[in-house]
Amino acid sequence: MVFPHHPARPDGASPSAKAAQELADRTQELTHRLARPTTADRDRRRQWDDTLLTALCDPTGPHLAGLLVPQSLGGAGLTATQTCHILDTLGEGSRDPGLGLALTVHTALATVPLRALGTTAQRERYLPRMASGEWLGALSLRQTQSTASPPTITARPAPERPGGWILHGRADLVALGPQAHHFLVIAEHDDTTRTAFVIDRDTPRLHVHSTDQAAMPTCPWATLQLDDCLVLPDAVLGTVRGAATETEPLLATLDWIFTSAPWLGIMRALTHDALAAAGTRTLFGTPLAHGQSTRFALADIATRGELAAGLLHHAAAQFDADGRPSRRDAAAARLFTVTAARAVTQDAARLIGPAAADGDHLVERAHRDALFFASTGGGTDVLHPVIAASLLGSGRP
Amino acid sequence: MNTHHTFPGIAARAARTDATGSIPPENWQDLKDSGYLRLFHPPHLGGTGADAATQVQAMEALARACSGTYWSATVSALLCAKLISTYGDERHHRLIRPLLTGDRLAAFAIVEPAAGSDPATYRTTVRPTGNGYTVNGEKSRITNAPNADLAVTLARRDKPADDTGPDWCLAFVDLNQPGVRRYDIPHMGLRGMPWGGIVYTDAHIDESDVIPLPFTELAEGMTWGWLLVSIAAVATAESALTASVRHARRRISFGRPLAHMEGVQAQLADSRTHIDAARLLAHRGAAERVAGASARDLIGMLKIYATEMSVQVTARAVQIHGATGVTQGHEVERHYRDAQMNVIGAFATNRLREQIAEHLGLGPAVYRPFDWLTPTGLTHDPVSLDGLTTG
Repeated sequence: MVFPHHPARPDGASPSAKAAQELADRTQELTHRLARPTTADRDRRRQWDDTLLTALCDPTGPHLAGLLVPQSLGGAGLTATQTCHILDTLGEGSRDPGLGLALTVHTALATVPLRALGTTAQRERYLPRMASGEWLGALSLRQTQSTASPPTITARPAPERPGGWILHGRADLVALGPQAHHFLVIAEHDDTTRTAFVIDRDTPRLHVHSTDQAAMPTCPWATLQLDDCLVLPDAVLGTVRGAATETEPLLATLDWIFTSAPWLGIMRALTHDALAAAGTRTLFGTPLAHGQSTRFALADIATRGELAAGLLHHAAAQFDADGRPSRRDAAAARLFTVTAARAVTQDAARLIGPAAADGDHLVERAHRDALFFASTGGGTDVLHPVIAASLLGSGRP
Repeated sequence: MNTHHTFPGIAARAARTDATGSIPPENWQDLKDSGYLRLFHPPHLGGTGADAATQVQAMEALARACSGTYWSATVSALLCAKLISTYGDERHHRLIRPLLTGDRLAAFAIVEPAAGSDPATYRTTVRPTGNGYTVNGEKSRITNAPNADLAVTLARRDKPADDTGPDWCLAFVDLNQPGVRRYDIPHMGLRGMPWGGIVYTDAHIDESDVIPLPFTELAEGMTWGWLLVSIAAVATAESALTASVRHARRRISFGRPLAHMEGVQAQLADSRTHIDAARLLAHRGAAERVAGASARDLIGMLKIYATEMSVQVTARAVQIHGATGVTQGHEVERHYRDAQMNVIGAFATNRLREQIAEHLGLGPAVYRPFDWLTPTGLTHDPVSLDGLTTG
């Protein structure tokens, strides 16, 4: 049996697919060599490794920072589907959900809105440096579900600077915040309309406070504080007061799809660990692998991985086709992947057993991080009504 | 030919087909006219050689119209015809063509009364007579058994000591002969689908219609069956979800439509997600299979997930419909009964989990008789808080 299957493994027939596969191969090699040996230690120390980031972002290496940046702007110019495949490879190779999240936030969530909605000047200023990893972009994971949670940052016209804005408020859960050069921020106006901004870290009265999250400690976290920050008109991303139909739906879909992709690889890594445990642990005098409950659990683990991959790659492929991606398909892919990640982690934990003496303790970290993963992207409280509304014909448009 | 593969007439007769336990002749005429039976095979066998996506779309459309009709037609035109074309040769094309025109119907006779998928219990045996072969034994719980013209029959080979060939064979048995008796078995779901047993008593088989086969090949051939069943499951789930959405939008409860209730929305969203997951895997598995790959493990996974998913989705549909959903003759009541049939048919899902586990590297299933608990001491109750007491 070829396990695991790779439904979106790029077709080797086209040059771009060949380049994408080379990037995936480099990602696999480098994460195995540099990331995986240090993952457990970085997790324990809550440590961000700049050297590792530099290696992963190297344009002559995996080029992870520029996967979705067009080649004309210094990026790898991959499709969304190919990017999912590489993020999947990153998750499996590094066995590090926090590293996967951090790189995904930069590579997809901070990059794509600039690519899709930025002015020519914004694209030319930010994207080449983001593609090389010189500049990292960050945002609050609370701002990826439109206003399902109350907005916490406000915008009002700057009295002294026509076209400028004064931003005020705080946003927590800013993934990659301590390392970021700039932030994607959505602010609410008095009339509840919202505008997206790209704000550089050196903006006066902008403060970044490093924070510790209980989960995903290898991703650097921060709270962003804006104390009446003046931002100029060129910081506006997309249309003034247009975030509700431009940046916000895009961010939701990007979050649901791309931050799920590393979990495909994490699930695959857990499956391998569980298979190994089934072959070595004994119960009632026989190998665990002889027990039907073990065999059934492993069959279900493998099946869940295949199903999640199919949904995620289907949703991602809509970015690569003409037309607008489906929020319902993206939400469904996230809902399934979250459920699968938790179930796979739980089954793997049962098979691996308590308190493994050696190894990198992926199953323990995954238990913690899968719970966190399940609560981001809005969790089921957001995903269920998004999917249901499309079925019921309720909601707009 | 109906290139859109919709079956409005068959759908309109689905409730009656279920209630009477019989597929009406008009359904077969619609199937012939639609070209459905020809989709799965190349032109030299009388087929139209549709691509994988078209095949899956047509299969789901027919299964949504009437799952019982779908099972009967697709077991014959897809599964049985594939088994004949895969393991037979040009001499057997004469058997395939009438299945694709709809003039004859086939059954895949594998299970016997003693057990389901355990071949050790199978007794049906083919013996040489000098003028071909005879077959003796009983096959049970077989789709199309009561009215099929041809049975692709799994049997043991009664072979001489110097015959080193396989112990098993597929025998293409003409069922319209004196040595064959058929019977119906009432069943919970898919009631329109003919289902029952076949008793062979010295039934004749032409010499060319006995194909020696290693038993391990069976799972390979059965993969078409797993795909068939999985698509039936997806279709049943989709029909149940469609009915649920319709009901949730119309039904007013506690002053608002059911659709406004978060709990109902969560059920609908979960069903939508799970059906999509299964359908995508079905398309992927079919594409690999039609392209010539085995895809056996992928389609095995699909069969496990899709059929059990369909049971969950139809159960949710019944709950959303409330008492209406458990009323005999209601659409979702039929889907609820049909869904469970797919879990069991063509290898029960737990049997397939064993296969997937084996191919994941766990080795073949190991059976040992219980009791493995007594030697561990876990069969003893503990002493009381005061220790061992007398009296």
